[in-house]
Amino acid sequence: MIVVNCPNCGPRNSSDLRPCGELTPRPDPSTASLSEWRTYLYLRENPAGWVTETWYCRNGCRRYFTIQRNTATNEIRDSEAP
Amino acid sequence: MPDFKSPIAHGPVSAPDGVVRVEDETATAKIVVRAGSDSSAAADLSVPFGQSRLRADGTLVCGTRPDEWTLFAAVDRAAEVAASVDTEGFVSVVDITHGRAMMRVSGPKATAVLAKVCNIDLADDMTPDGAVFSGSVANVTCDLLRSDRAGDPSYLISCERSFGNYLFAALVDASTEFGAGLPAGLSIH
Repeated sequence: MIVVNCPNCGPRNSSDLRPCGELTPRPDPSTASLSEWRTYLYLRENPAGWVTETWYCRNGCRRYFTIQRNTATNEIRDSEAP
Repeated sequence: MPDFKSPIAHGPVSAPDGVVRVEDETATAKIVVRAGSDSSAAADLSVPFGQSRLRADGTLVCGTRPDEWTLFAAVDRAAEVAASVDTEGFVSVVDITHGRAMMRVSGPKATAVLAKVCNIDLADDMTPDGAVFSGSVANVTCDLLRSDRAGDPSYLISCERSFGNYLFAALVDASTEFGAGLPAGLSIH
């Protein structure tokens, strides 16, 4: 079980939330090249270490928030509303 | 108002010694208000997220989510309660009376019953009387309100209408450990 700290609801089992993956900056659609847009849509760094992720509190406050999670150890820190 | 019909097909179920009771409370007016924090509706409701307050007119105001409130009242007051909310500004008011099922688990063993099917910490210091929270109950996403009765824990649980009969059966099934009998025709399978 992974316990994720929702900024509104407090500590929750990760089964109450939906992981939305790494936080990736969205390029400006009017100026981004096809390569940049494809990278934004499909490519992720997936490091074995600290990564900033977006999660959705689907059973609680129904808000999105970001956390820092270590993908090697599942240690979690710094949850905050985006 | 259309005729009210509960999706829950069974009456109250109690353990013989009264340690737990599961009853249908779907026939309750349920009004959802979403309002920006700078609106007069938010200032008027003024119940923080996670808490509840009984108004003098008998309406129970619950802070169900940030900038969202659910108002409970007698079923024949739905239109009156909805109309009482000031809709000036960034505000929406939706009557979900017929869209949600609601049931109450009460009695000295209510917390033990709910703990079997809900992963929220139900300790008194985390979810005291009046606490409002959301979570999974028997794998159904529900809004919960702790509303104690006569000194015993009591929980009002609401879910999507179509899950109502299943959730009622699941709560009765969880109560069988404490002596409640599963009525004929009520099954979670």
